[in-house]
Amino acid sequence: MPVVDVDADELRELTGHEEKSDAELKDDLFGLGLEFEGETEDGDLQFEFAPDRLDRLSVEGVARSLRYHYGDARGVYVPKTNDPEWTIEVDESVPAERPYVTGAVIRGVDLDDRGLESLIQLQEKLHATMGRGRAKGAIGIHDLTMLKGAPAGEDGERSITYCGVDPEGDTFVPLDSNDEVTPAAVLEEHDTGRTYADLVEAYGRYPAIYDDIGLFSFPPVINGKRTEVTTGSRDLLVELTGTDQWTIDKMCTIVCYALSARGATVEEVTVEYADGASAPDEYGSTLVRPNLEVDEKSVTHDRIETLLGVEFEPETVVDCFERAGLDASYTLGEETTYDVEIPPYRVDVLHPLDLVDDVGRAYGFNELEPRYPDVGTVGKRNERSRLEDAVRASLVGLGYEDLLNFHMISGAENYDRMRIDPGTDVFGAGEPVTITEPYSEDYTQLRTWALPSLVMLLERNTHNAYPQDVAEIGFVADRDEAENTNVAERRHVAAALARRDASYEAAKGRLAALCADFGVDLETPPIEHPSFIDGRAASVVIDGDVVGVIGELHPAVLVEHDLEVPVAAFEFDLESLR
Amino acid sequence: MRLPKRQLAVLEAASATDKRTIDDLATETDLKPETVTGAAFDLRDAGLVSVTETTTETADLTAEGRQYVEEALPEVRLYRAARERGATDDSVPMGQAIGSADLDGHEVDIALANFSRKGFGSIDAGELSIDPDAEPDADPEAAALAALAGDRDADDDRTTIDDDVRDRLASRGLIEVIERTTRAVTLTDAGVDALMKGVEAAETVGALTPELLASGEWRDVEFAEYDVEADAPTVTGGRKHVLRATADRVKDVLVGMGFKEMEGPHADADFWINDCLFMPQDHPARTHWDRFGLDVDPMAEIPEALLERVEAAHREGVGPDGDGYHSPWSETFAREIALRGHTTSLSMRYLSGYAGAELEPPQRYFSVEKVYRNDTLDPTHLLEFFQIEGWVMAEDLSVRDLMGTFEEFYRQFGITDIRFKPHYNPYTEPSFELFGEHPETGEEIEIGNSGVFREEVTKPLGIDCDVMAWGLALERLAMLTTGAEDIRDLHGTLADIEFLRNAEVSY
Repeated sequence: MPVVDVDADELRELTGHEEKSDAELKDDLFGLGLEFEGETEDGDLQFEFAPDRLDRLSVEGVARSLRYHYGDARGVYVPKTNDPEWTIEVDESVPAERPYVTGAVIRGVDLDDRGLESLIQLQEKLHATMGRGRAKGAIGIHDLTMLKGAPAGEDGERSITYCGVDPEGDTFVPLDSNDEVTPAAVLEEHDTGRTYADLVEAYGRYPAIYDDIGLFSFPPVINGKRTEVTTGSRDLLVELTGTDQWTIDKMCTIVCYALSARGATVEEVTVEYADGASAPDEYGSTLVRPNLEVDEKSVTHDRIETLLGVEFEPETVVDCFERAGLDASYTLGEETTYDVEIPPYRVDVLHPLDLVDDVGRAYGFNELEPRYPDVGTVGKRNERSRLEDAVRASLVGLGYEDLLNFHMISGAENYDRMRIDPGTDVFGAGEPVTITEPYSEDYTQLRTWALPSLVMLLERNTHNAYPQDVAEIGFVADRDEAENTNVAERRHVAAALARRDASYEAAKGRLAALCADFGVDLETPPIEHPSFIDGRAASVVIDGDVVGVIGELHPAVLVEHDLEVPVAAFEFDLESLR
Repeated sequence: MRLPKRQLAVLEAASATDKRTIDDLATETDLKPETVTGAAFDLRDAGLVSVTETTTETADLTAEGRQYVEEALPEVRLYRAARERGATDDSVPMGQAIGSADLDGHEVDIALANFSRKGFGSIDAGELSIDPDAEPDADPEAAALAALAGDRDADDDRTTIDDDVRDRLASRGLIEVIERTTRAVTLTDAGVDALMKGVEAAETVGALTPELLASGEWRDVEFAEYDVEADAPTVTGGRKHVLRATADRVKDVLVGMGFKEMEGPHADADFWINDCLFMPQDHPARTHWDRFGLDVDPMAEIPEALLERVEAAHREGVGPDGDGYHSPWSETFAREIALRGHTTSLSMRYLSGYAGAELEPPQRYFSVEKVYRNDTLDPTHLLEFFQIEGWVMAEDLSVRDLMGTFEEFYRQFGITDIRFKPHYNPYTEPSFELFGEHPETGEEIEIGNSGVFREEVTKPLGIDCDVMAWGLALERLAMLTTGAEDIRDLHGTLADIEFLRNAEVSY
């Protein structure tokens, strides 16, 4: 879940509530779903929240939400924008993997250290969330006065160009460096470059942004040093590149709202996709950005009432919408419907039901009285679950300690340490279903049988008293192309006696008792199985089908697991008891 | 005749003519008095001896009684002092008499009360006169005290104290009367006969055997005594796993609330695990580092129409005002096989009708099954754990129904004060995190996640009514009920068998 760092003094300033104590702010924010997590080294308060309201990733957004919460603000607010002076030209050389760009110009910003810090935080947090680690969208912010557009004259419009560049094809000085290097060198030599190298490494051409002077940004990796933003910067260029136009537009909107809240003026930019560049289908080739258009959705009065379980006056609903920062109008009728306006910084309203949630939050979910639904249904457990239970009761009655082991295991444990080979024709040696990116080498595949887990548990418990009679009814799986999932999943009954007097006979007596409990016929024709002592191993044949194995574990298996007592064990398919 | 050794010893020590007390017999037989008592009763039951009980009362001086033995009773001292002052002839002022008797505090009251009662004289208007014929030196109460203070062997004196005097002294708190029961044993005629005919000591045996039972010899043997307070060897019977017991309890509760149990594959297509749930394909939880992908071929069979509806929901949303995600969506990814990260994949299979029949409202379903998360392994997180999952499908379900249902569920586990915190999930709206108070620490802890499934989830599945759902890790509930502090003690091959054996049974 995202975490936002908030300077409490700044929050008081931006909300206009100097009188609020830190504790009061924490309480009020908890009501909005921002949970206090602790303090940073600098004394900022840290709040964690669910990743729906990404407009709250900076102190400015948190302050805006609080003003609505306090009733200091109502309805939709959209900052005024000035007409564009700058154009972002999208050249056809732009890498096809990262075709989209957007941006805005910000004028008259007054950034002190805290303001600059907040802006950097917002940028980083948006990268981590909506930007999917910069892959989907990345933000670059530049000091506008350091940029040189096309020569003044003509119509006076200035432009920069988003294009593709050969990895070794140009040089610039990246942030946190004094060396003029190629984009390829940045990925190898620069710390930030190495961090984000995997995003662009496979591209034929790297994304680049040029002004008249030359290359000044290498998105999504790093900006050039020339246009670095400082507390002295007054005018800014915000540019975003990415794989989805809507996503970068929304990220841009959130940044614009934050800077506008600090008193800056937002100025539009024109984005021009060249004929050969892949302009976004839904918007066409010429865009004016930032896109601060208000979205509209409709929701019926009836849906709000049924979903919240409360009867409302329409005025109450409208009041709730406005306190949520939305605007709503309605027409009374057979089906009263609200037309709701949604401000552009909201990225979480995908469906009219999301508006019902906003009404619920504004009304206060805690105001709702719980009731048990008047709906009659009949409950039951499924047959497999009841069978498992019955078999477990029998095993426990026979003195076995019931176990719950992991389903994931390593190949070494599943096969090697039991002296069997994968895919061979012995019980338990099915083809493994392996995990493509395992957590560790201890958990690389699903277990194909359960006895290895039991023996591992015995190995782990050699310091404890004997006898250790253990059993498990557990999940096992191996590859099977006949299944739709290509994985055959089964439940096995596995049981082991670990004690001085453990013997084949003792294990078979218990197996026979279990089979008798379930009214099935048991036969035990001799077999050879590498995990067991020759001459003391048998197939478990139930009602004529080979379903498992029983025997005394081979001394080599025992020694491998540091066991100093004999172990007699059996394992078979649970289904055979049905 | 054969008798157990200790009974034989008592029988031989008893006499037909003398009553012999238990203490005497214990001394003679060298047995403990309680053993002799037991043997005597066994012999009495066999008709070989009779046991008589006599109750004797003995009296002992209290501290105050002993004091008066040394100083004389207060009323006697008052009489003597008054006589010295010449009260035989004429009355003397009471204060003077008390002063020379050296009485103080409560002794004054005692002296005056008993002085009159015993007729030592009279008191009138503060003047005290004595009866010259009184004989305080022959006072029976003083004599009785003196007798009790004498040699403890002088039992006769003690028992010959007049009952009235004894009661009076007891009520004055000067003596304490104790009752004692003494048992005495005498041989009956049958006992004498038996001894004449000869009684042998019975054999002592260690174990009751089938042979002893069959032959009837058990009647004549004596069983060796055990130290019944000694510790016994540890017995470790089989136990249902403590976590399984908690799971079963949850299942019982849910079945009781009208829920049916679901089942389905652990390895499933991402389609069922995530796409049906309206989880965008570029959601962080779906990326490779959170997910356990499996190296098997993709799923071939997914209902075509369903696949199209789910894709459309992701791309365009649901309904005229619906927006989709601005995220890539690929059928190839949807068909890939992974270990399920939640059992909501089962809910999707049931709600779509793919797991069985098409479902008509109302319905309630649940599962308590394993899920897999590529998370850090630590005391509170496992790579595999059990998820409790439940949902209710009905027309017009409201948030209030959701709250009522979950309140009822948690109440079954003693968690009564649950709070609903508005939350966000990609697949439910509204959504709530459930918080409850830890029964022991009182700490507010998260105990579940819930909500009403979005239409982007239900519509593609072909459902036109509301479905509310919730999920919770079983281990979290079990840690609350068992007090386990490290989840790994409970679950998996790292488990400690002693911990499992010693965990308190939950029910």
